[in-house]
Amino acid sequence: MEYFLQQLINGVTLGAIYGLIAIGYTMVYGIIGMINFAHGEIFMIGAFISFIAFLLLGALGITFVPLALLLVLLLAMVFTSVYGWTVERLAYRPLRGSFRLAPLISAIGMSIFLQNYVQVLQGARVKPLQPVVTGGFQMFKGDGFAVSFSYLQIVIILVTVVLMASFSLLIGRTALGRAQRACEQDRVMTALLGIDVDRTISTTFVMGAALAAVAGLMFMLYYGVIDFYIGFLAGIKAFTAAVLGGIGSLPGAMLGGLLIGLIETFWSAYFSIEYKDVAAYSILVLVLIFRPTGLLGKPEIEKV
Amino acid sequence: MAAETADTPQHPPQDGIAAILKDAGIAALISLALALPLFGFRIVGFGSGRGLALEERWDWVVTAVLAVFAGRIALNLWLRRFRAVLAIGGRVGDGVGDKIGQAVAAAPRLGRILQAAKPAFRIAVAGALLAVALAWPAFPFVDRYLLDLGVIVLTYVMLGWGLNIVVGLAGLLDLGYVAFYAVGAYSYALLALHFDLGFWECLPLAGAFAAFFGIVLGFPVLRLRGDYLAIVTLGFGEIIRIILINWYPVTNGPNGISGIPRPSFFGLPFAADPPEGTVAFHQFFGLEYASTQRIAFLYYVILALALVTNLFTLRIRRLPVGRAWEALREDEIACRSLGINPRNTKLTAFAIGAMFAGFGGSFFATRQGFISPESFSFIESAIILAIVVLGGMGSQLGVVLAAVLLIGVTEFFRELEQFRMLAFGAGMVAIMVWRPRGLLAHRDPTIRLHARGEKA
Amino acid sequence: MPAPDRPLLTVEHLTMRFGGLVAVHDVSFTAAGRRITAIIGPNGAGKTTVFNCITGFYSPTVGRIVLHGGRGDFLLERMEGYLIAQKARVARTFQNIRLFPRMSVLENLLVAQHNALMRASGMSVLGLLGAAGFRHAEREAVDHARYWLDRTALADVADIDAGTLPYGAQRRLEIARAMCTRPALLCLDEPAAGLNHAESRDLNHLLRFIRDEHEIGVLLIEHDMSVVMEISDHVVVLDYGRKIAEGSPEAVRHSPDVIRAYLGEEEGEALPPEVTADLKGEGGAGAAHERGPAETQ
Ligand SMILES: Nc1ncnc2c1ncn2[C@@H]1O[C@H](COP(=O)(O)OP(=O)(O)OP(=O)(O)O)[C@@H](O)[C@H]1O
Ligand SMILES: [Mg+2]
Repeated sequence: MEYFLQQLINGVTLGAIYGLIAIGYTMVYGIIGMINFAHGEIFMIGAFISFIAFLLLGALGITFVPLALLLVLLLAMVFTSVYGWTVERLAYRPLRGSFRLAPLISAIGMSIFLQNYVQVLQGARVKPLQPVVTGGFQMFKGDGFAVSFSYLQIVIILVTVVLMASFSLLIGRTALGRAQRACEQDRVMTALLGIDVDRTISTTFVMGAALAAVAGLMFMLYYGVIDFYIGFLAGIKAFTAAVLGGIGSLPGAMLGGLLIGLIETFWSAYFSIEYKDVAAYSILVLVLIFRPTGLLGKPEIEKV
Repeated sequence: MAAETADTPQHPPQDGIAAILKDAGIAALISLALALPLFGFRIVGFGSGRGLALEERWDWVVTAVLAVFAGRIALNLWLRRFRAVLAIGGRVGDGVGDKIGQAVAAAPRLGRILQAAKPAFRIAVAGALLAVALAWPAFPFVDRYLLDLGVIVLTYVMLGWGLNIVVGLAGLLDLGYVAFYAVGAYSYALLALHFDLGFWECLPLAGAFAAFFGIVLGFPVLRLRGDYLAIVTLGFGEIIRIILINWYPVTNGPNGISGIPRPSFFGLPFAADPPEGTVAFHQFFGLEYASTQRIAFLYYVILALALVTNLFTLRIRRLPVGRAWEALREDEIACRSLGINPRNTKLTAFAIGAMFAGFGGSFFATRQGFISPESFSFIESAIILAIVVLGGMGSQLGVVLAAVLLIGVTEFFRELEQFRMLAFGAGMVAIMVWRPRGLLAHRDPTIRLHARGEKA
Repeated sequence: MPAPDRPLLTVEHLTMRFGGLVAVHDVSFTAAGRRITAIIGPNGAGKTTVFNCITGFYSPTVGRIVLHGGRGDFLLERMEGYLIAQKARVARTFQNIRLFPRMSVLENLLVAQHNALMRASGMSVLGLLGAAGFRHAEREAVDHARYWLDRTALADVADIDAGTLPYGAQRRLEIARAMCTRPALLCLDEPAAGLNHAESRDLNHLLRFIRDEHEIGVLLIEHDMSVVMEISDHVVVLDYGRKIAEGSPEAVRHSPDVIRAYLGEEEGEALPPEVTADLKGEGGAGAAHERGPAETQ
């Protein structure tokens, strides 16, 4: 029981991180119908920028943890967004209206490029960070096994909930959100109505990158190590989350992230840790085969 | 690094120095934001968890920003020269990449020349390439290294041709092609080690296994839309790799399988001193023993395999199934309205592509004598895919050119492993942006009503 | 006109819903062999949706669609799309042309004969071996293609990519491709859209030729009233997903319901002359275009 509860907490935390990344996939897919394969790398870059920002603040003597955390969060979001924007501008925008798979292939190239870009600039070695947020609650301190709910997990879950809520409001209630949804429906018509489609798409990438940066920061804090390769796996799992929840659906991405986090955690806890990635891939395959619209996606009938 | 940030800002500038400077300024500003965190600081430390620190590299930032600024100005000036050409083209697109694309298309390029050329010329090029390939081991300058390189390039050519059936003809974006390559390699290794079968007996079996895998994996997923299919195949590729890593009793896990038998020349082994009772290749032919003999033999084996793949593809393209593949690539809905079973048709393409990957895998196993899951990672799939895409999807000659270019040129950067993949990724993006249809996008009809050249 | 032949296609109580939107509501009609049956109606009336149900691209929410073939009946609503084309021999064209743009015109027509050629090539095995039987079958397929190329005036451009043809030629090629499947029923979705006057006239000839010489049924969606009035034997009128009239072109033209559907409720208002002319089949483009995109509820 205690063990189960502990895994639940761990799973929700992990799910929060996946959910944040998944939003980027789902928003981009919704608006331009492409899988932004490089999004995992944006997440990885977010983690690196957070790492650097932490060290920098440490060097500047800002050691009050909540302040440092907030500053790192902002810095990472801003600088990672520029990467998100640039990727779209360089690798995807010129391909709009090109043949169907061109943007995906370009995205794969971009993903390989960014991985090696960070490897060249920051070295291939894993980067361990001393724990920044320490401590936590102990619950049910029973015989031998205690359930711990660390402050870090609380921070991760809280930040995720706040960000997701505000993003949902942003997209549901503002002109920007309306423009995005209009682009999803019919890009040509939206342009005719005087909405700057390019800008709307860019904004979508920037928003996705900002959330990925947050996820990167959380990942770094949670696992304490990063390297240039973390984006590949996390990216695929987050994409799986987006598909599971129903690609194009924002609540779907959060739900999917949560489920993938839980499934992965419980799978590793109760079955086998070696095959934990197989679990994620298998879910991806199964969902796409049996329910390509995901849990919350709208069914799509091919227009002929 | 400068090059790829060079064409950053929003809109192609209008004429005038001020506009160009402003545009370059914006580009520089953006590159500053990009470079500041990752160029400006490097995480240094000793992996112990303590003593991690930042090394400041302001010189890198300044260099990058200046390079972008200068590069952007140069690009603009260069574009201005092409503006006349573009204006005539009439299609004054919005995107910078578009402009560059047109400019590049206007400039003479190898692919362009080949494309515009008469088919006779393309046949001549193909013939010349074939002659060079046949004579390669005999060239005086070809040492062991170049011979090995030839084998590697040919392996990729063969894999490219195999994947070309799936991606180029049938239009199915398969990101897990390497899985079938792995199936072929492990099939050969296990069959050879446990059942004592020779290379030539194993080859068809490995191909059949891989094709079988293709059918099993393809059957449920081939109705998925293009990009979903891509991701699912990637998932399959990774699943197979993880299984190879963890299924110790059979695959020996990450340590891989070693001692895989080398191929023999019709029963004559390549060995300096063969075991009792057998005659080695060099003894039989009365030659000095040389290790290059085996490599030359391997070279011809892979050349033959590649040519078989090519001939097969050239022939099947002219058959109804080949045309149906291409039709599916062009428009699946129209195919259904004509009574073509999309699933079966895709499945044949997928299985045949997998079969050739299986052949390739067997060859890889016998060449290396050792295989491990490491050789079958996603990046291999990406490389093979890049060869097909860069070559011009569907173009057989394009695959050869792309393989020579990608493998041959990046081989020069062998020492700088990371830069190799850096350039590779950037190249993939650049190719997509500049020539989304690849180097040789030209396609000849598979059948003609009127003889070529006859006035229609 | 001779008495109508026995029905070739029977559509009964066809209903198609997309979420809350009822695109087609309880529509029944029949189409006869050797007859041209036109389906007309304003934009968004559900015409294409009816086609998509018949040809298996959508599976109808309710309803039964039967093709009475030479060798028995086919329940189309239960069949997969490609089998409808293969077994029940229903061929179609698309409102927004769907050719294989990067394949030559002739190749487009050979793909249409895929199933026959596939059998002849022994599922590719004989073909790979270069068997004589296959070569013969392929020559016949080319001859068949040639026949339709001549009928559609495309023989000269047989070897160029379909995507490079002018618009009118693409429309003709799509019809030729559908005919190459040797259909029993040919469904054409707005074949005259975007054609000029001369092309439109040629199209009428072609459709009559197909009906009279090849003795197959034609189901035609058309906006252009002049085409409808001139060549169709039977007209079905849809509006907001419902069938509002059916009968001979003459009868439909004078039906008050149809006039209301096309021109709006206020019958008394003075109509612009070109609209009335359109409706009477004297003008060029269809009157329905004037109405703009109709929001079906
Ligand atoms: N796949 C689909 N999903 C949702 N709605 C659809 C789909 N296909 C058609 N519809 C809706 O069904 C209604 C009828 O559309 P349909 O294309 O059949 O009209 P139509 O009579 O062919 O019109 P037009 O003259 O413009 O071609 C429209 O409101 C359309 O938006
Ligand atoms: Mg329609």
